[in-house]
Amino acid sequence: MIEVRDLTKKFNGKTVVNGLNFQVQEGEIFGYLGPNGAGKTTTMRIILGLLRPTSGKALVFGDDLGSNDELRRKVGILLDNDGLYDGLSACENLDYYAQLCNVPDREEKIRDLLDFAGLTKRKDDKVGTFSKGMKRKLGLARAMIHDPDVLFLDEPSSGLDPEAQRMVRDLILHMAKEKRTIFLNSHDLDEVQKICSKIAILNRGTIQAYDRVENLRNKFSNPVFEITLTDAANAKHAFDLLQSLDYVSDCKPDGLGITATLKEENYSNILNELVGNGIKVEEAKKLAKSLEDVYLDVVKEDSS
Amino acid sequence: MTLSKIFIVAKKEMMGIIKTKSQMLVGLLFAMWFSVMTAPVVKTVDEAAVFDTFNNLMFYFVLMLGIFMAYLFSGKVFFNEKREGNIETLLCTPLSLRQIWSGKVVGVTIVAYLIALLAAVLMTIIANIFSTSMLLPSPAILLHIVLVVPAFIATAVGLLGFGHLLLGMRENQIINISIFIVIFFALSLTKNVIGAGFVVSWIEVGVLLMVAVLLLALISYLTRYLSKERIVTTIT
Repeated sequence: MIEVRDLTKKFNGKTVVNGLNFQVQEGEIFGYLGPNGAGKTTTMRIILGLLRPTSGKALVFGDDLGSNDELRRKVGILLDNDGLYDGLSACENLDYYAQLCNVPDREEKIRDLLDFAGLTKRKDDKVGTFSKGMKRKLGLARAMIHDPDVLFLDEPSSGLDPEAQRMVRDLILHMAKEKRTIFLNSHDLDEVQKICSKIAILNRGTIQAYDRVENLRNKFSNPVFEITLTDAANAKHAFDLLQSLDYVSDCKPDGLGITATLKEENYSNILNELVGNGIKVEEAKKLAKSLEDVYLDVVKEDSS
Repeated sequence: MTLSKIFIVAKKEMMGIIKTKSQMLVGLLFAMWFSVMTAPVVKTVDEAAVFDTFNNLMFYFVLMLGIFMAYLFSGKVFFNEKREGNIETLLCTPLSLRQIWSGKVVGVTIVAYLIALLAAVLMTIIANIFSTSMLLPSPAILLHIVLVVPAFIATAVGLLGFGHLLLGMRENQIINISIFIVIFFALSLTKNVIGAGFVVSWIEVGVLLMVAVLLLALISYLTRYLSKERIVTTIT
């Protein structure tokens, strides 16, 4: 569906993205993450055919989007700019793009999308009078006007209120269920974690991590274990013991609780050590690793 | 299919210009102002020369006003679209860069030409108010208004659009100001630019038409050197 092979882009001799390789399959929601200036937008622009790669290839449906006009009919985009004209009404904006993409039954499609965006009552108002959130929703409706097979979304939830963010998220999941492919460029790690099946983390122009979200969580983030002890004496004893274990990299006391970061998955051993030393444990649980932990680990690791 | 895409863009651009009331108002006011200020010159010439003077004014004024309108609306259609970033989304639609450029040129040309026509009508009416004899454009001037003026408007829009897409925002701003000064100055000279002894004939009109068509063809050819990368990297 989307295939990026050894992709490199240089501007005036400066390498912006370097040797990128990844694939996005049909129906997948692919999260493309990275700090500002990492090269995310450049990658997206190359895939969309707005920039030519210095070397390597970026293919969608096996072809270059930049040189195949008809292929772009299968692609919907929502960039940082919503692609809307302030002087035209919501309805006229959607109608313009519908005509450019040769959409059959335009009126019905526009009506449905305005309804989806919650903008039916404002359909005849000029877009220049809309709030940022309303424009974002209308921009998303515009990107979907021709039922694209692939959607490229650049920070789709940016500027939206929580309710609208939820709506966008649900919509993306709905589209993926219909076997549409989503390329999501986002800073919102929570959003990516909730909806993406696979991610790539880009830093300083190279991909630092590329896998399914679960695999990356296991691969990159150190396991964390939270223990609650029965009393203060037990807590002190446990803290001293945990600090002495070579597979515990960090240990933080908090009242009767201790949070231990392990160098490797070793939960059963740690419990055996505690119980074997007569320490009474009231509760022990593994902490779920968030994508944020993975992201920070990856970016930090690369920076160091 | 290609033509229909061009007309979709053209229609949208026309609608966008017409709906921008401030810009339309500026265009119409300029057309009216220069017509009102220029046409009364017919009362200052001898009765024998009034017909030629009127035709000379029409020849120069309608052309220059059309080009001025082309300048005025091209800024909105090309420059603003690039500055606001909408051009990136448009470049990702199933349109080629040439179709986008052509559609915009057609859209702006139609509106600019309609205003130039309005100015021609207005000038004819005002000139007749100040003249004792009936003044109407000669056949050569009519042909000039019907063919040469729109061809030159399209050429001006095409060239300006090409520049807006090719160059960076700062360069465009400098060029815009320079062009405005030149055209405004040229319009102000309407009353003096063509001597009383000069009569516009079919030959002048024919030569100008050929020049316009050749220029348009040249600019159309130059659009091959536009690229999406060039446009995207000169947005900021």
